Amino acid sequence: MEGDPHTVIEGMIIGSMAIGAHKGFIYVRDEYGLAVQNLGRAIQDARANGYLGEDIMGKGWAFDIEIVRGGGAFVCGEETALMNSIEGNAGEPRDKYVYPTEKGLWGKPTIINNVETWANIPVIILAGAEKFASIGSKNSKGTKVFSLVGKVVNTGLVEVPMGTTLREIIFDIGGGILKGKAFKAVQTGGPSGGCIPAELLDLEIDFDSLTEAGSMMGSGGLIVMDEHTCMVEVARYYLHFLAGESCGKCVPCREGIDRMLEILTRICEGHGKMEDLDLLEDLSETLKAASSCALGKTATNPVLSTLRYFRPEYISHIHEKRCAAGVCRSLTTFDIIPEICTGCGLCEKNCPVQAIRGEKKEPHTISQELCIRCGDCFNRCNFGAIKVV
Amino acid sequence: MKIIVDGKEIDAVLGETLLGAARRAGIHIPTLCYHESLEGQGRCRLCMVEVNEGGRKEVVASCTYPVKEGIEVTTSTPVIDKIRRNIIMLLYKRATGSPVMRQLFQEYGCPQNSLQENPEERCILCNICVRACEELGSSAISLIMRGTQKRVATPYDEAAAVCIGCGTCARVCPAGAIEMTEKEGIRVIWNKAFAMQACSRCGSYYASREEIAHLTARKPEYVIQSDLCEDCRKRMMAEKIAVFVSE
Repeated sequence: MEGDPHTVIEGMIIGSMAIGAHKGFIYVRDEYGLAVQNLGRAIQDARANGYLGEDIMGKGWAFDIEIVRGGGAFVCGEETALMNSIEGNAGEPRDKYVYPTEKGLWGKPTIINNVETWANIPVIILAGAEKFASIGSKNSKGTKVFSLVGKVVNTGLVEVPMGTTLREIIFDIGGGILKGKAFKAVQTGGPSGGCIPAELLDLEIDFDSLTEAGSMMGSGGLIVMDEHTCMVEVARYYLHFLAGESCGKCVPCREGIDRMLEILTRICEGHGKMEDLDLLEDLSETLKAASSCALGKTATNPVLSTLRYFRPEYISHIHEKRCAAGVCRSLTTFDIIPEICTGCGLCEKNCPVQAIRGEKKEPHTISQELCIRCGDCFNRCNFGAIKVV
Repeated sequence: MKIIVDGKEIDAVLGETLLGAARRAGIHIPTLCYHESLEGQGRCRLCMVEVNEGGRKEVVASCTYPVKEGIEVTTSTPVIDKIRRNIIMLLYKRATGSPVMRQLFQEYGCPQNSLQENPEERCILCNICVRACEELGSSAISLIMRGTQKRVATPYDEAAAVCIGCGTCARVCPAGAIEMTEKEGIRVIWNKAFAMQACSRCGSYYASREEIAHLTARKPEYVIQSDLCEDCRKRMMAEKIAVFVSE
């Protein structure tokens, strides 16, 4: 939408001819100003050149596109919530026992796709379906654009054939982990995706394999996490996001996510109990089976995937009241190892509460009374002289 | 068309929901956000049932699921019972102050757990009040915000100009969450006070003046003797019949 809006528009024009539609909408979050601006410009240009309008390229076909700017609700990525929002109603999804292709926008048959799908259409028409299908894995054809971010050397948008391994994306294309630290997990598919551990780095990723691994393709986000990541806190963080973004229509999602967040917060603060893990799994089942839309159904992924691959971390938070990654503030104390500290002063200079003191080129010390356990020194130290106690 | 619910063949009409067909056949499916005068909403998810369509099994909300020829439905399975127990538990924890949730929590044998309770809260966000208000033509209240912040409110929590003080919202609320007080001919609801109409016969207050005006404008044919309360209207009717019979 920002870099090549024309492809999306072209895909939609072809789609309109295929299904017999004369009106198209592109729903963009208003926060994405550049996308709104560039798409608007491209639509204007297309109209001026006769690619959109009453008689497209003299072929007697009428089609036009309108941009609808969303009010910033994550749930409006859910297709039925998106359609409610276009209609001017609250962005709440509808049950999908009748599909949008039968009864969609304003109750009319509607075809709704992600912009990435539309952008693929002109390529498929030009190169031919066979050529497109020759790329990719068994059930997922073509290429996929991933947004590679996090603790990785090269970040940005990456387009690879479906079925490329995580290792190729993170280490060959991404250049490996920042500061040479160890890879811990990669979170895929956006906030309601799951965390995939190092032992699955050779997973060839496509729609099926990611779902099997307890995650999803979702938005195509890949967030790389290094050894200093607490997986319990990661699960808590995403549930906190989702609790705020649930539309609140159905009980499992609205109340369930909130209660799972309550449990995870308790564990991160050192008040967790082993039965909390059973309760998390029990609630997850209800969310998956009974939620109205994909937001609630997939909201359990961050929790279930971390429970599946990183359960010992949960247990050490509960039993030993310890966060080995040094992230959960209530469970963490930082200390300087005097034998390793070179007295470079980097931590002292950056400590937000001046809790670190020491002479130049002499081992420094942390005042535990002043320390707010933000972990800045721990992440910053170039010598590994700061330890989590 | 015929569908099978819990092994029993029942009649269903194209376009109706599974819940509607089951209720008509006397098959009980529990609900909290359903009201027989309104369309199914799919909010509480208590009415989840298992549908078997040609061997493909799916758990669906029966209040929004349109019936299809040949489906086989099971209204209670271990999976469904567990969903219902968890939903009741979650709503009980959210609205512990609501009598209906306290009762259902006991009835469904929900296990105690460590999740926090909200004794002050009664609303279960079923949205029946909002829908009823909409249907009656006022739309004075709506659901605002999203996620756990979601709640029923008048615009900006101020007295709504369009509210007619009919009290339907409070009457349809299954959770007893909407406060309505009446004292000396003044009804207070949703931060707005309404002067009540006194019955010309017995003197008791029976409706807000705005409600009578709204009804007169919208359904004049229903408004017979609008200065009488319901009891007196019935009494008057009975007296008339008595006179008619004795003559």
